[in-house]
Amino acid sequence: MKDRGRILAVEGLTKSYPTGFWRKPVRVLSDLSFEVRENEIVGFLGPNGAGKTTTIKILNRLAFPDAGEVTLFGGQVRDGADVRRRIGFMPEQPYFYEYLTGGEFLRLCGQLCGMSRADTESRSSELLVRVGLSGARDTAIRKYSKGMMQRLGLAQALLHDPELVILDEPMSGLDPMGRMEVRGIIRDLKAAGKTVFFSSHILSDVEALCDRVIMLHKGRKVAEGRVEELIGAETLYIELVVSPVLPADRLVAEGIPPETGYAQGDLLVLRAPNSGEANRWMASLLRAGCTVLSCVPMKKNLEEIFMERVGSSGATGAAS
Amino acid sequence: MLRRIFSIAANTFRETIRNKILYAILAFALFVIGMTFFLADLSVGDFARIIADVGLASIHVFGVIMAVFLGINLVSNEVDRKTIFILLSKPVRRYEFIFGKTLGLSVTLLLTTLAMATVLFLVHLSYRYGGRAEVGIFIASAGIYMELVLLTCLASLFSTFTTPVLSAIFTLSLFFVGHLTNYLYVLGEQSKGTAVRWGSRFLFYLLPNLENFNWKNEVAYGGLKSFSILGWAAGYLVAYAACVLCLSCLLFARKDFK
Repeated sequence: MKDRGRILAVEGLTKSYPTGFWRKPVRVLSDLSFEVRENEIVGFLGPNGAGKTTTIKILNRLAFPDAGEVTLFGGQVRDGADVRRRIGFMPEQPYFYEYLTGGEFLRLCGQLCGMSRADTESRSSELLVRVGLSGARDTAIRKYSKGMMQRLGLAQALLHDPELVILDEPMSGLDPMGRMEVRGIIRDLKAAGKTVFFSSHILSDVEALCDRVIMLHKGRKVAEGRVEELIGAETLYIELVVSPVLPADRLVAEGIPPETGYAQGDLLVLRAPNSGEANRWMASLLRAGCTVLSCVPMKKNLEEIFMERVGSSGATGAAS
Repeated sequence: MLRRIFSIAANTFRETIRNKILYAILAFALFVIGMTFFLADLSVGDFARIIADVGLASIHVFGVIMAVFLGINLVSNEVDRKTIFILLSKPVRRYEFIFGKTLGLSVTLLLTTLAMATVLFLVHLSYRYGGRAEVGIFIASAGIYMELVLLTCLASLFSTFTTPVLSAIFTLSLFFVGHLTNYLYVLGEQSKGTAVRWGSRFLFYLLPNLENFNWKNEVAYGGLKSFSILGWAAGYLVAYAACVLCLSCLLFARKDFK
């Protein structure tokens, strides 16, 4: 694989928030380090209170770390406005000026990003079509639904054609169709050479989209790596689906432990521990007059990896 | 930089001008100023003076209400509604945000003060027993406007680090104290203690002297005819507001948004 340039590097990030005058501050991030390379899609995972949103706020200079360093495009994040021109950001559950229309809001964003009026207009039209809001351009934002707000949030993040797109829970509040569209947009961004860093709770989306994932729990990184590396090559079991359903005594007679299977309507689902056993069971079942409908090696999915890592490091946290 | 400040100012202006509470206050202010037409009939002596006197006081009081009400929410509304997340994630520096917000609100206050002054001028002009074109109404209103801009800067300073209620209390306290700083200086100078004298001098220069913008009496008694007095007050406003805004920017520069 081609060695890609480092777009974002986080080194030893630590952050605490005060909880009251007399109370001890709550540690939200502890010595967090990771990096994102050019043209990657990186998923940022963690339960509520893991510190995902705090990290994303620090990346966007909405919060400041107690210790640690964030380097964007090779320069520290304090470089400010010039760096931010190269970043698109969508906050979690984005809020907008309700008295503006979607088009007016994008015009304001274009002005703040230093875009010309003509560029803002053409890019807004293109993006509103892409996020499915072309019909709502002149509608006041106060009349937008939650899903529409999310789409407008995505449009404003992409308006100035940023190199790095940071999205905080981009799928939340979207219906299945909307989620599919957002997945498509993220894939298009990668195809256009952009880098995407996003947090999500929806692990199936992360698994389907990301090159790499970073798992966070209680402010600490608990796993990082390519999705296929985390999932691993190890096969958990081999799932056989056969028909018709054989009674338990017939299974015992064929040398198949009945507790490894269960009936699902007219089908019998069996879990063979390895390929040798699966081959032996298939031969026995065919001899017994059954039809083998499928034989699938089952691997761990991201959700199982996530639960394993999070479970091993304790209960969920309190603030994100 | 200027383009971003003007964009934020234009958006703030649009936000405040669509605020229904502002319209309610303005409508009530215009009603009270209009009523001075009839109030003058009840007074003895120079009827037109009553119109200018009560009218300018009304502009002052309602202007302060608007400035404090809008100023205390200037930053806190953006933080509470989380719209600031999107704004500050753009290539916008935090001081540009503060300057833009203050400028936008100052434009709104300019329009509302101008509307109130115009109504008062017309009432004064059309008064049936000795009405006249009193240009001084606009000069005194300009003074009131400058005071409102300074109060807006103070309110925005407080709204960078405290709640709207506390911001309102602090701003109103400075409004009252700001009209008494001359007395503070005079009283201090009469003291025999050096520490008290120096302390009162220090407070005199530290606290805003809002009497620098007060020409209501001069207008009411017909003693103010020139715009030249505006120069000194404008200079004081620029210097004091610049200090307050710089302090706001410093406090806001490292603020965490939860």
